[in-house]
Amino acid sequence: MLYYLKSDIHPESITIRPPGKGFHMPRDTNTVKPLIEMMNVTKIYPPDVTALEGVSLRIDIGEIIFLTGMSGAGKTTLIKLICCLEAPTNGLIEMAGRDLSRLSSSGIQRMRQKIGVAYQDFKLLDKQTVFQNIAMAMEVTYANPRIIRARIEELLALLNLSDKLHKLAGELSRGEQQRVALARAAANGPSLLLADEPTGNLDQETTELVLNLFQHLNQKNNSTIVIATHDASIYAKTEHRILTLCNGRLASQPEQTTQQINFSKYNKSLISRAKKQK
Amino acid sequence: MQFLANILYQAGKNFRQTWGTQIMTLLTVTLSVLIFAFFFLIYTNMLSASARLGDDIRLIVYLDQDITAQMRPGLEKKIRDFGPVEKIAFVSRTEAFARLSAQLGKEKDVLNDLSPEFLPPSIEVYPLKTLDNLTMISQFSDFLLTLPNVAKVQSGSDWLRRFGYFTNLLRIVVVLSGGLLIISMTFIVSYTIRLTVLSRQNELEILRLLGASNAYIRLPFLIEGVLQGFLGSSIGLAALYSLYQWITNRFSGPGFLKIFEFAFFPIVITASILLVGIILCTISSLFSIRRFIRI
Repeated sequence: MLYYLKSDIHPESITIRPPGKGFHMPRDTNTVKPLIEMMNVTKIYPPDVTALEGVSLRIDIGEIIFLTGMSGAGKTTLIKLICCLEAPTNGLIEMAGRDLSRLSSSGIQRMRQKIGVAYQDFKLLDKQTVFQNIAMAMEVTYANPRIIRARIEELLALLNLSDKLHKLAGELSRGEQQRVALARAAANGPSLLLADEPTGNLDQETTELVLNLFQHLNQKNNSTIVIATHDASIYAKTEHRILTLCNGRLASQPEQTTQQINFSKYNKSLISRAKKQK
Repeated sequence: MQFLANILYQAGKNFRQTWGTQIMTLLTVTLSVLIFAFFFLIYTNMLSASARLGDDIRLIVYLDQDITAQMRPGLEKKIRDFGPVEKIAFVSRTEAFARLSAQLGKEKDVLNDLSPEFLPPSIEVYPLKTLDNLTMISQFSDFLLTLPNVAKVQSGSDWLRRFGYFTNLLRIVVVLSGGLLIISMTFIVSYTIRLTVLSRQNELEILRLLGASNAYIRLPFLIEGVLQGFLGSSIGLAALYSLYQWITNRFSGPGFLKIFEFAFFPIVITASILLVGIILCTISSLFSIRRFIRI
C-alpha cells in the first residue's frame, strides 16, 4: 500500500512507503476499532511510585487530543506506555486492536516506525546536523534519499527552520531544537504523533507554527495527534478533546461530542453526510 | 537496494566516528596475518622440500641371515604396523652383490675373488615422506632393531633428522602464530566494535526509538568486522607477497633458495587465509553485537 503526502512547498507529490509489514495502523475513520484503547492501566515504578492508576481511555483515528496536567501527573508515562517504552504494571493497552504487551520485538519496531514521538528532552544528536537528525527517522524505513530531502525541506519550511538545515543540532537554541524534534516526529507522516510538551520552549508565534503543523498532519494524513502539555494557552480555545491527569488518575474525561470530534476533512464529510441522511 | 545503501552509510559512520581505533585494529589484524602467513609460508616450503628429499629418507636394516619367502609377509606386516611406509624392499646377498658390482662399474674386477656371502642381506624401508615420519626416524630405527635377525639399522643422514626437527619446530611456531592470529582478531576486533557501539550509544538508542530494525542496527557492525577481516588479511598477504618478491629477487642465483625452490602460496591457500581472516573478524563482531547491542 502506498499513501501520498502532498507538499505545500514543493509542487511534486511525495510518496512515502509505509514502513514494514505486519503492523497495520489504520488511518481510515471507517475502521470501527479505536486507534488506542487503554483499559484500567496502572504503572508503578519501583519501589512503589505510582505514575498512573486505573487509567482507561479511548483515542479514535484522526483525533487530536490534549493531555494536560501538572508536572508529575503522569503525562510522559502515558506517552511512554503508548510507544512501548514502558510496560504497564496492570491493565491493557491496545493499538489498532492489538495488545501491545503481546507484540514481538519486530512488531514493536514496525509500530514505532508508524508513530512519531517528540520527546520532552528532544533526544537529538548534538553533533549531527538538523538534516541528519530528521533524516534518521526516515532512513530507518529505507525511504529514498530524494524523498527524505524533499520532506525535510518541507517540514523545516513549515516550522520556519529552513536556514538551519545544515546547522549542528547542538548549536541550536532550545526552541529550535524542540522544533527539530517535532519535525523528526512528523517526518514519516505518522499515523499517530505523540508530542510531549511540544511548546515548552517556544514563543507565541512559534507555538502557532507548531500547532499549524499538527493541524496540517491531521488534515493531510488523518494522523491522530496526542499533545501532552501543561501550557493552558494552547488548549484554552481548542475544540478538541482535553484529558486531564491528576496524580496519575484521569481527572476528567468528557464524552466525545460532535463538536469535539476532530475537524479533519474526512470527519467533516462524515458529519455532513449524517446530517443529510437526517 | 536502499536498505543496502543505508546499511553501508551506517557502517561508514562507524568508521568515521572511531577511525583512530579502526586504523589500530586494521594494523593489528594486518600484522597478525603477516606473522602467521610468513611462518606458514616457510613451513609449507619446508614440507615441499622434505617431499623432494627422495631416497635419502630410507632405513636400511642389515640382517644376520637371509630371509625366506615365507618369513617376508610377517616381517612386512610388523613394519607396516609400526608406521606408514611407502615401500619395503628385501635385498638378498646376491642382489646386494649385483648392486655393488654395478656401482663399482669398471672397477668391478675387485670383486672377482669374492663371493656374495661377504655382504649381509638387508631390508630397505622407505617411510612415507611426511614431516611426522622425518622426526620419527630414530624411533623407527629403534623399533627395527628389535626385529629378529637384525644386526644393524642404518638410517638417513643426521642432517635429515635435524631438518625434520627444524620443520617440526616451525610447525609449532605456525600453530602459535595461528593462535596469535585468532586471539588478536577476535579480541581486538571485538574490542573495537565495543568501542564503536559505546561511541554511538546515544544514536543507537534513538534509532531504537525510531523503530530501526535489528538488521538496521546490527548489520553495520557486522560489516565493520567483515571489512576489518578483509582489509587486514588482504594487506597482510600483500605485504608478505612484497617481502617474498624482495627475497627471491635479492637472493636469486645458486644457493639456499635454489635448493628449496622457495614458492609463494598457491591461490587456494591465499584465498583460504583471506577467508579465515574474514570469518574470524566476523565471528568476533557477531560476538560483540550480541554482547553489547541489546535490542
